[in-house]
Amino acid sequence: MSKELEKAGLPVALVSAMYPVAEQVRANRIVKGVSIPHPCGDPSLPPELDARLRREIVQTALKALEAEVKGPTLFTPNMTVSG
Amino acid sequence: MTTIVHVINQFFAGLGGEEKAGMSVGVIENAAGAARGLQSQLGEEAKIACTIYYGDNYFHEHNEDAMKALLDAVRTRNPQVLVAGPAFNSGRYGLSCVEICNAVAGALEIPCVTAMHEDNPAVGTYRDFANPRVYCLPTTETAAGMTDALKAVAKFVERLSRGDNIGPALQEGYLARGIRRLEKTDRPGVDRAIDMLLKKIKHEPFVTEVPMEAWDDIAPAPPLAQLKDRKIAVVTTSGVVPWGNPDRFKTYRNTHWQKYNVAELKELEPGKWEAVHGGYNVAYMNKNPHYGVPLDALRALEAEGVIGPGKLYPAYYVIPGNQGSPAVMRRIGQEIAADLKKNGVEGVLLVAT
Repeated sequence: MSKELEKAGLPVALVSAMYPVAEQVRANRIVKGVSIPHPCGDPSLPPELDARLRREIVQTALKALEAEVKGPTLFTPNMTVSG
Repeated sequence: MTTIVHVINQFFAGLGGEEKAGMSVGVIENAAGAARGLQSQLGEEAKIACTIYYGDNYFHEHNEDAMKALLDAVRTRNPQVLVAGPAFNSGRYGLSCVEICNAVAGALEIPCVTAMHEDNPAVGTYRDFANPRVYCLPTTETAAGMTDALKAVAKFVERLSRGDNIGPALQEGYLARGIRRLEKTDRPGVDRAIDMLLKKIKHEPFVTEVPMEAWDDIAPAPPLAQLKDRKIAVVTTSGVVPWGNPDRFKTYRNTHWQKYNVAELKELEPGKWEAVHGGYNVAYMNKNPHYGVPLDALRALEAEGVIGPGKLYPAYYVIPGNQGSPAVMRRIGQEIAADLKKNGVEGVLLVAT
């Protein structure tokens, strides 16, 4: 999916908890997701922190779209959100 | 008698499906679950000393702990051969099988055998490792081919435990790792090369001795400057759709995509959306669809001006990605790309489960 979009000239920020697989299939902008069943957030956190973590992940993805990359590159959101 | 250790995921150990994918590494004495099938194929010559299992998600989310526990457990049994899988076309499971084989082959210096479908993304990792002690046998796409897969694995295990010399991939039937080996031939390279060249000129078939790897790299699309002026869209393979699944997505092998309008929405309310996907536990996603489509965060960033007004495309694109065949997913990717471009979208946030 990510490759076809990039082929069309659209930069893709791929949020995935299985980032080794994403690198393997040669996605270029990879954002580390929290976990396979919930990439954008962490249900074990209180709702407010969960939302903040999700925001951090989305912001990291937007930064990835702005970044010049030469090949598969991993972007890691700051997962240590605190109250 | 040869001692074997068989490593499988929680599902094939018979301990549960997605709801148990978070379970840590455990050991069952003798053969359990799929390992029983392997034991019956192995007969009297080899004994599965123990079955080691782990949750599909646990392995990837606690990779170091999982690997350490696995290696410790394998070491105590001192096997001659390790078997992992078969994983068929499960990417998560396939990747763990390949990583475990590579780690065990490195630490214990014993041959390791896994098996999966050729299109499993983990086959690429297997080729990257190119570990001479690790062999991956091809299987069918689904577990319907379990018996044949275990038969093939058993045969291979027998040969390895006898200390047989294993020939090249093409001859032996395992998936090629890209390892070049020295071979004796009766004709010098010059002669063989000229033979090939003549055949090529005559348009006759010939087999190269040095196959080139076909890299399928896509040059990265250029980055977005001035992000706030750029139109972005969300695409997801999580399978989050309106409650009731109006477009009848299946939990696997879908062949169509959809987009759903969220223009008027500030967030995705639980109970109005559901995740249709057979490859992971959808309970979290059903409770909070933002784990797959982070609309709340995007709206917040829009309010702050990080995303410009009207620059978030008013619909998101979805297909449940489970077991999608590469050919179909390619076509769907092309269709979605065309639709995005038609609508002036310039960058994509792709959420994959």
